[in-house]
Amino acid sequence: MIICHNICKTYAHGNSRKRVLKNINLAVKPGDRLALLGRNGAGKSTLIKLIGGVEMPTSGKIIRHMSLSWPLGFSGGFQGSLTGYDNARFIARIYQRDYLQIKAYIEDFTELGQQLKMPVKTYSSGMRARLAFALSLAIEFDCYLIDEVIMVGDQNFSRKCQHELFEKRRDRTLILASHSTSLIRELCNRALIIDQGKATEYSDVDSAINVYSHL
Amino acid sequence: MTQSSLRKLYAGWRVQVRVIHALMIRELHTRFGRENIGFLWIMVEPLLFAGLVAIVWRFMKGPTEHGVSVVAFAVTGYIPITLFRHGVSRSVAIFTANGSLLYHRQIKIVDFIIARFTIEMLGGMMAYAFISSILIYFDQFPVPSDIGLLIGGWLVYSFFCFSLCLIIAPLSEMSEVLEKFVPVTTYIMLPFSGLFTMASWLTPEIRAYFLWSPFVNGMEMMRKGIWGDQVTAYYNIWNPIACGLITATLGLALCRRVRRTLSIT
Repeated sequence: MIICHNICKTYAHGNSRKRVLKNINLAVKPGDRLALLGRNGAGKSTLIKLIGGVEMPTSGKIIRHMSLSWPLGFSGGFQGSLTGYDNARFIARIYQRDYLQIKAYIEDFTELGQQLKMPVKTYSSGMRARLAFALSLAIEFDCYLIDEVIMVGDQNFSRKCQHELFEKRRDRTLILASHSTSLIRELCNRALIIDQGKATEYSDVDSAINVYSHL
Repeated sequence: MTQSSLRKLYAGWRVQVRVIHALMIRELHTRFGRENIGFLWIMVEPLLFAGLVAIVWRFMKGPTEHGVSVVAFAVTGYIPITLFRHGVSRSVAIFTANGSLLYHRQIKIVDFIIARFTIEMLGGMMAYAFISSILIYFDQFPVPSDIGLLIGGWLVYSFFCFSLCLIIAPLSEMSEVLEKFVPVTTYIMLPFSGLFTMASWLTPEIRAYFLWSPFVNGMEMMRKGIWGDQVTAYYNIWNPIACGLITATLGLALCRRVRRTLSIT
């Protein structure tokens, strides 16, 4: 169970302030597959970062009763100057997992080969996404936070994600920010639209997508 | 109830120890790489600094001053001061620099400071042990008369430095102006660090002020631990401990405050 209670988030830059999220209330039950919809800059990523504990809400409370992945997205989670292997070793250490097992898994899943010996900053966004997905799948979380990232991958990567995350781990919880309505229709059973800092939940995914297309 | 919360505290502690360990290894890799002497580089900088200054002082001031070896005096002064200066300068903008790692919830911002400071401290201690062993061999450095006092002095000195890092790190995120002031401030405070002089070499009036400085108290302890009866030392161990506790409390409160507003891309 993940409960967001009255979350507000304000960013301050110098003297100007921007209220990105206003009083968001949300409860995610185990097995839920929640889509976050909204235009660019609506606050989808911010909400995912708050749920993931990367940033703190300005006010309000987030209660987490399951293990959550870090937000899998274009950035974050890695040290750019370290190699793929070193990052994997670091992550294995802090999540207390066996490095050799994780290493074998990422080699197989990412298919990056020699590139894993290169610093992560030299990776393309698709390659980073592969590594992040591989690591989070190897660690096995109850809930995966995914920020727009599935679409950057190629066919092969989408197929793997499809198989590993959406078929083999069908019972897991998912919070997914995406603009791909077909993907959301296929994967999610709940949808939330974020607009003007407010979140509105729709009874079914189709009607949410319908509203979203007219934003 | 109390037992379960104690267990929780213990579990949290174990997580933090693991995180700090991982951060230290990561830091050593990014800073020194794996080539040639690898992580031994951590002691090279304090070693070079203390060693070269000692040589310069030796030629400027002669073999002894106030009855103690100039070379040894320089070394005992410069290694602690290097810890202070590096610790502080490495704390500036430390949260933004490591921001991408905050994606992992078990990593707390204070872990970054602890990990970096521990590395500096280990480097300083290794440099201290290394250079003094060599100098003892060449009879340029006394065999420490009270090793416990030396280590105690080093620990309280380090603790106070660490507590300053806990303040500098969050302040540097709150204001960019601070960043510009850090180098000059650490330079200005050199005379008040006990680096150049012992308290007993000063007049009683000046000494009274001098001993307000937590650095001086730590430094006097270390030097008393090395030279024993050859020098007169003035110190109060509670000064650096108390100052450190106050500064650390304030620093932790600031860290907590800054964490709420930290935005991470």
